[in-house]
Amino acid sequence: MNIQIVQGPGNAAARIGLQPGESITTEGGAMIAMSSTLHVETTTRKRDSGSIMGALKRLVTGESIFLNHYTAQGQFGEVFLAPTLPGDMLRHDLNGAPILVQAGSYVASTPSVDMDIRWQGFGKALFSGESWFLIELSGEGTVVLSSFGAIYPLEVNGEHIVDTGHIVAFESTLKYNVVKAGGSWMTAILGGEGLVCKFQGQGTVWCQSHNARSFGQALGPMLKPR
Amino acid sequence: MQIHIHRDGKTAGPYSLEQVRQMLATGQVQANDLAHHAGLASWTLLSQVLSAVTPPPIPTAPAASASRDDGPRDMEFAVECRPDFAFLTVQVPAGQTLKVEASAMATMSSNMVMKTKMRGGLSRFLTGESLFLNEFTAGGGPGEIGIAPGSPGDLEHVHLNGDTIFLQSSGFVASGMGVQVDSKWQGFKGFFSGEALFLIRCTGQGDLWFNTFGAMIPIDVTGDYVVDTGHIVAFTEGLQYEIGRIGGLKSLFFSGEGLVCRFRGQGRVWIQTRQLPSFAWWTYPFRPTKD
Repeated sequence: MNIQIVQGPGNAAARIGLQPGESITTEGGAMIAMSSTLHVETTTRKRDSGSIMGALKRLVTGESIFLNHYTAQGQFGEVFLAPTLPGDMLRHDLNGAPILVQAGSYVASTPSVDMDIRWQGFGKALFSGESWFLIELSGEGTVVLSSFGAIYPLEVNGEHIVDTGHIVAFESTLKYNVVKAGGSWMTAILGGEGLVCKFQGQGTVWCQSHNARSFGQALGPMLKPR
Repeated sequence: MQIHIHRDGKTAGPYSLEQVRQMLATGQVQANDLAHHAGLASWTLLSQVLSAVTPPPIPTAPAASASRDDGPRDMEFAVECRPDFAFLTVQVPAGQTLKVEASAMATMSSNMVMKTKMRGGLSRFLTGESLFLNEFTAGGGPGEIGIAPGSPGDLEHVHLNGDTIFLQSSGFVASGMGVQVDSKWQGFKGFFSGEALFLIRCTGQGDLWFNTFGAMIPIDVTGDYVVDTGHIVAFTEGLQYEIGRIGGLKSLFFSGEGLVCRFRGQGRVWIQTRQLPSFAWWTYPFRPTKD
């Protein structure tokens, strides 16, 4: 399998080249173009594992409940994937080290990658109007992620705080705790920082330069009421 | 993929694709040796096996901040700040005229004379494009014009030589006077989508520039290729196209993939890595409510 990120960082796309017999699992709606010889299958869960519960969880996270599987049959085929918002994409090899991905950043994974949903700060999320869910990707294989804006790795050694809206993914070796930014809910909400994630330990956090929700909120008041 | 090699009357292997490539590089195997892997009906020349599994190179060469196009042209031009904020500058020889999408002119030398023309009449109106193209003529000497398309994105140049290119309705940026710009309503093929595919037909002789929202990727089609309708920028005439869906019944409803266009034949399709309607829809939850 050949996975390339092209045209980054402004409006990146991922080109997945599939040899006969190889397949890739993608988020529903990510395909922008492909060889017509690829076989497409839509499932409510990860193939060969997972459950209806898994699918339900995916529904709640705001990720589409459905995953598409593209498989090259008799011959080489390719598929181009891209997210909705402008920004970069990241190709990452797991090598047995699991990562947690912010739900909206998942684009694709190779079939050997296991997928599970982690519920995160549900009560806090409701309180602040900010929902934040994570997809755990583990096993061997390659994953493709997307960011709003540029993407940069942050090496945590000890303790570090990242706004939840700026997290793309992080290594599961890190302990994490979603907390309010300030001392009280009042400062958290008025300060506009909402929820932040406090990381502890050693590992990489992949951050995005921009916060999609902040951009939406900046844009919203200028748009026609719905 | 596990590959067996037949050489000097002996069969060896299986080897991985990577091993075979290395052996080929070091001369342990030859391109005209016979090779076989699961799924192959018979022993085949190794060169053919490798070319069947080797991904063709991406035709795009994203040269940062510069135009990749040094092919034939009537007018000298430069495209800067690709692929995210492409900006076109054209040198217009004395007395010559350039057609430019309405409101796309950003800068020009003061000897450029602008005239507004209505083109294509009703059909151009149907494409949802502004009804007007402006014509810029270099009066009294050569002139220069800087053109910025409405959406941030990429820009491509082709030189038409009697051939035809179809553009997605908002893709037209500029052209020479020898290029006829007509809209061609795609009709009922796109009817069910609610996102009817309107096309502009550009034919004749001369320079043509078109743009995207997001970056542009050219794809050379031989046989069949599928493109999400919202990501089509342009394609060459001669390709047959058909609007449809991907996958089976389940994919029809749940894949999240909208309508796709299936191209067939030999030619080139330009796709864009983002699309405006999806972006516009993304803003929906952020819009204020009425009361």
